[in-house]
Amino acid sequence: MGAIHSEFLKLKRSLTWAIVILLPIALVISAAANTLASGEPLQNGWHTLWQRSIVFYGLFPLAIGIAILASLVWSVEHRGSNWNALMSGPTPSLRIVTAKAVVVGFLAAAMQPVMLVAILVMGKAVLGLPGMLPVQYFGISLLIMAACLPLAALQSALSMLMRSFAAPIAVGLVAAGISVAVLMLGGTAAIVSPYALVTRATQLGTGTFSDTGGVTAGDVTAILTAAVVLFAAVVTVSAAILDRRDTRI
Amino acid sequence: MNARAMVNEFAKMRHLGVGLVALVMVLAVLGLSLFTLISSPSFDPDSEEAWNALLAGMSLAIPMVSPLLIAVLASRQTDIEHQGNGWLLQAASGLTPGAVCRAKAVALGVVVTVATVGVSLLALLVGRLLAGITAPVPLGHWAGFTACMLVVNLVLLALHILISAKLENQLVALGIGVIGTLIAVFAKGLPEVFAHVTPWGYYSLAEAADYAGDEIVALPLSYPSIAALAVIGAALFLVITARFDRQEA
Repeated sequence: MGAIHSEFLKLKRSLTWAIVILLPIALVISAAANTLASGEPLQNGWHTLWQRSIVFYGLFPLAIGIAILASLVWSVEHRGSNWNALMSGPTPSLRIVTAKAVVVGFLAAAMQPVMLVAILVMGKAVLGLPGMLPVQYFGISLLIMAACLPLAALQSALSMLMRSFAAPIAVGLVAAGISVAVLMLGGTAAIVSPYALVTRATQLGTGTFSDTGGVTAGDVTAILTAAVVLFAAVVTVSAAILDRRDTRI
Repeated sequence: MNARAMVNEFAKMRHLGVGLVALVMVLAVLGLSLFTLISSPSFDPDSEEAWNALLAGMSLAIPMVSPLLIAVLASRQTDIEHQGNGWLLQAASGLTPGAVCRAKAVALGVVVTVATVGVSLLALLVGRLLAGITAPVPLGHWAGFTACMLVVNLVLLALHILISAKLENQLVALGIGVIGTLIAVFAKGLPEVFAHVTPWGYYSLAEAADYAGDEIVALPLSYPSIAALAVIGAALFLVITARFDRQEA
């Protein structure tokens, strides 16, 4: 817990909140602005608003947001002589990697409640939709939060390996694009990729791309299992890689 | 323009993966354009309007891919000056920060120009050889579209060089890149006046073709707006970099 606490301390006065809050809000505003500009009402009310907001978000902006958060969390370690301090400290690699992945995962997951609130406010206050967002989307939000964890761990590993702030983000964009294509062509099996996993989770119940429109127990189990297995695998491999790293002269 | 400074910028690119990012930009735009073409139900390679489908694909792919990768290119090329104290070193050698920014803009401008023109020519080749389009190429419209997209890309490049140079925290530059991507993608659904407000919106004014009902039709390009963006963008870049020249490194 100490390692995780110190990682959160390092984020004090950073601009993480800007990504966590602004990215989901910007997505919902963009979707609603297009709806308002078209002058046509939302065909299926809350369902359409959810679909327009979250499906595009899952294609690549969510992956990019997580990539930026990971770069931000690791940038402090690549500055000055901090890397050497990290390498020569007593904290085991597994604990460092887990702490970083958990912090990035927490921030990534935190974007979903922001998205949910933004959709609710937009639906009620701006678009005047009757009723409430269907309950299934609250459950799907929890699934999306879980699906973010392996991607957070993977982007954290990339940011650990690359000193540049921007390079892991470019990798994230490309990998997200490839994963979307594989997901569309190969179906749910593509969730072996953390990028495809978040995309699949955001499409759940929307009937878009490879989704059938229903939410089955099989879908939920597959996403949760993939999230747990991938997170454990990525953290283990990145800890082994960090173990073999040394100080920089 | 200081030729030696520009050569120096090309030398700095060697270990920054600039070529790789540019290649990714070309492949991603080409891949997404082809995907749009193939998935279009009304696509007929023998019809007179077949090229419009490819132009529509590129009109979607360029705004989706370019803003973030341009932000990555500018950030990588500029961040090294913050990390290695290059601003002070070069100022002491007689090269002011403004001149460094101008050299970066020209050097990266060459890369972005090659990537943008390259993807346009490759799309022509792929359309003819892979997709088997037999209709005559609308060369004038194609060249105009390429020129307009190039102008928007170069203006964004200049903007991102300024942001990355002014703000050491690259989170801001990349965050603006992400928000810019959203604006670029969603601007085509908004009234034209909104497209003129931000540089990313101009991608929608350079849209060469789009669906009208079930058919894909050629759209007129907003040459006066794009020309105005080029003039205002260039003037602002020169004024701001001139101000950088008078600031302490």
